[in-house]
Amino acid sequence: MSKTARDGWAFRVDNLVKHFGTVAANDGITLRVLPGEVYGLLGPNGAGKSTPVKQTIGLLKPTSGRITLGTHDLVADPDAARQLCSYLPQAQMPIDSFRLREAIELSGRIRGAEMAQVRRRTTELIDALELGEWSRTLGARLSGGVKRLVGFCMATISPGHLVILDEPTNDVDPLRRRLLWEQIRALGAQGCSVLLVTHNVLEAEKAVDRLALIASGKLVAEGTPSSLKAADRAEMRLQVMLVPGVETPALPAWGGSPVRVGNHLVTTIAEADAPSGITWAAGLIDSGVAEEYGLGAASLEDAYIRLTSDIPVDGSDGEQ
Amino acid sequence: MASSDAALILPPGTVERGLRRSVRDYGSMVRWHLASLRIWLMMLGSVQALSGVGFVLGISLFYRNIPTSAALFVSTGVPVINLIMVGFVFGPQLVASQRTAGSYEFLRTLPISRAVTAAAWYTVCLISGIPAVVVSLVVAQLRYDLPLHISLMIVPAVLLTCLTGTMLGYALGHAVGNPMVTQLIAQLLVFVIFGFAPILYPIQQMPGWLADLNWWFPFRHMAVVVRAALTTSADPAVPTAYVVIGVWAVGAAALALWSLGRRP
Repeated sequence: MSKTARDGWAFRVDNLVKHFGTVAANDGITLRVLPGEVYGLLGPNGAGKSTPVKQTIGLLKPTSGRITLGTHDLVADPDAARQLCSYLPQAQMPIDSFRLREAIELSGRIRGAEMAQVRRRTTELIDALELGEWSRTLGARLSGGVKRLVGFCMATISPGHLVILDEPTNDVDPLRRRLLWEQIRALGAQGCSVLLVTHNVLEAEKAVDRLALIASGKLVAEGTPSSLKAADRAEMRLQVMLVPGVETPALPAWGGSPVRVGNHLVTTIAEADAPSGITWAAGLIDSGVAEEYGLGAASLEDAYIRLTSDIPVDGSDGEQ
Repeated sequence: MASSDAALILPPGTVERGLRRSVRDYGSMVRWHLASLRIWLMMLGSVQALSGVGFVLGISLFYRNIPTSAALFVSTGVPVINLIMVGFVFGPQLVASQRTAGSYEFLRTLPISRAVTAAAWYTVCLISGIPAVVVSLVVAQLRYDLPLHISLMIVPAVLLTCLTGTMLGYALGHAVGNPMVTQLIAQLLVFVIFGFAPILYPIQQMPGWLADLNWWFPFRHMAVVVRAALTTSADPAVPTAYVVIGVWAVGAAALALWSLGRRP
């Protein structure tokens, strides 16, 4: 596909508003994803990041605003949305009665591809994600992670111009997770726009070209991972693994605003305070309050916490 | 990564509509439904056939010498139960379970038109219902030596009866958002059909008000058209029955398609 033809398929969301009663799930969201781009939608649980996706694919109707893919108005023409977009939902696919290969091939046919192409591509995807040993296994006997990968293959065997992936790596083991990211990048290289919905900040940092942070239904930041981290460039991330059950230790004045998730205590400190931070953390280990600590460059997660700091951290994002 | 690029399937250049696409989608969706029910379809068909045979043979337990007219009435009513049970009762329960499992949304995002999806499900209901009809009639014939006379009108009678039952179930499954409520209504319908719809017994045995009420529902009319196609009786109610069933079929299909396409 030529570059001009590719650029004609840009995905645009303009001033999208969605109300459920008096609650604004989306409040004026505007974004643009170019063909070939892997674009992340990040946000805490309940932030409203799945709602634009459901409006794009025709499950919900916007209260106001526009969603277009190329020249197609996806709100006015949901049939076009379903043909031109591929969707991997957060829930597992209904494949208990299907054999693994059969589920992928039938999805390819339903998406309109020719059988010979579908067979070749299915073989490639099964090989690429190392699913061969379960090729003829019924879905009911597959693990959650393998089912997730089958769902990815079903959604992308004959991809749309926009591929929407909602938490694609949930339940997937670390080895195949890497293979899955390769396939997601391959979709971008093929010219598809990839919209990746996730709360897994660390994975998103490595995988996306650009990302948007959504909190309380609003888009609070957008850019490349590097640009979002720019404000934290002179800072470092101090992470302390506390002994289970201990009280959260008080930090000295240089310690910023720490966040505790489980037994992880994380804060950002100025580079100049790094020696003090090391001394303090080592002291916690010596006194039996902590088991280990780490000090490194600020990550996207720090920017995420800074930008969504008014959102309560519920500790459920433990997949990171 | 490069090795996985050889057979990439490119995104569609345009939105494809029209009859050719619909025919291909219909075939794919029938395969999808049959495969997704493969664990259950044999069991479902067997249970349907067994319940039909149970009704046919069970009636003989009520009489020391069963009158042929009673055996004929029950045996020609059982096919109606066979034809509507999957679409009308199992269908909504299936949709309810998909909602509970979270797969309902995915199925709604498949690039298949609502009408084609409904047509494919109707086909699956026919496929699962017709063998049970045949088994029930064969057993009835062997047990009672009935004066059955199967006319060509059996084709529209079977097609329309199954269509109406399927679309009613489809509308119920898709229009009611709460899976638990759907399950409860489906259970209630089984009770109503067996107990208070004149399918397996003559309408004359009902109180007048209940018989009048039944005129507005499709079930007694389904029994009229199927029974007329299986016997030599020239029931004058047949044309009206086709009209009532047809109106219910169209109304239920419209409600089902509206529910499927609804975007809250």
